Amino acid sequence: MHKTLAVIGFGLAVPTVVLAHHGWGSYDAAHPITVAGPIETLKYENPHALITVKAADKVWTVTLAPTSRMHARGAPPELVAVGKTVSAYGYPSTVEKDEMRAERITVDGKTVELR
Amino acid sequence: MLHDAPQFLMALEQSALASAIRQSSWAYMTANVGHILALMVFVSSVVVMDARLLGAFAAAPPAMVVRPARRLAASGLLLMAATGFMLFTAEATHVASNGVFQLKAALIVLGILNALLAGRLMRETLDQAQAFEPLPTAARLCAVLSLMIWFATAACGRLIAYF
Repeated sequence: MHKTLAVIGFGLAVPTVVLAHHGWGSYDAAHPITVAGPIETLKYENPHALITVKAADKVWTVTLAPTSRMHARGAPPELVAVGKTVSAYGYPSTVEKDEMRAERITVDGKTVELR
Repeated sequence: MLHDAPQFLMALEQSALASAIRQSSWAYMTANVGHILALMVFVSSVVVMDARLLGAFAAAPPAMVVRPARRLAASGLLLMAATGFMLFTAEATHVASNGVFQLKAALIVLGILNALLAGRLMRETLDQAQAFEPLPTAARLCAVLSLMIWFATAACGRLIAYF
């Protein structure tokens, strides 16, 4: 049993030396924000579509949803095309600067739920 | 993409294959579903194999259970590697720097080493072992380790998205 624990402990210890990047859990849901402005770039890709939005204060990276869900909810690439004005409600990343994940977006008077 | 990541990871993420996976409407989703289906094949055969080593299904001679279950587990693992590679490639720099992914990768190495060690330990004894006869302590220890490592690996896989 000691051997078992030693091997498990070794496995746990090895990777902790490397800097961690954070995923879906690291968004501040207690402090939702709304980012509004023209869409500057669009990556309509998996696992999540991404847009950058030129808001009043700065350029935000807004993480949307998987492309199949975007289509299913009525947000094809044409809806979130570069140049369109978007309003995105969501949660700022606690790790990555100027990044947020959108709960819902409004474009052309149409609101699309992304969760 | 993370721009301070190792060169080979950036190259992998920028490769034509990675772009194709990201831009396809079905590739990423299919790899994701395939990874879970492969996990079902893998972990079910691992559990049967390890349970036999620990004394379950005692009426069956160990080799009759362990050998076919091990082959099935190996095919499941290969499928997991193929689908896992697709998922990793699409976001190589982010995934590689995720602490939970690093833990998972270390656990996979440990799990494979443990499985190879168990195979080596049992190479001669497995075929001679009779039904109802307890297997050597070392083999049972490998089985316990195997279950712990692979369950922890699966948990890490799901947790990558949350850390």
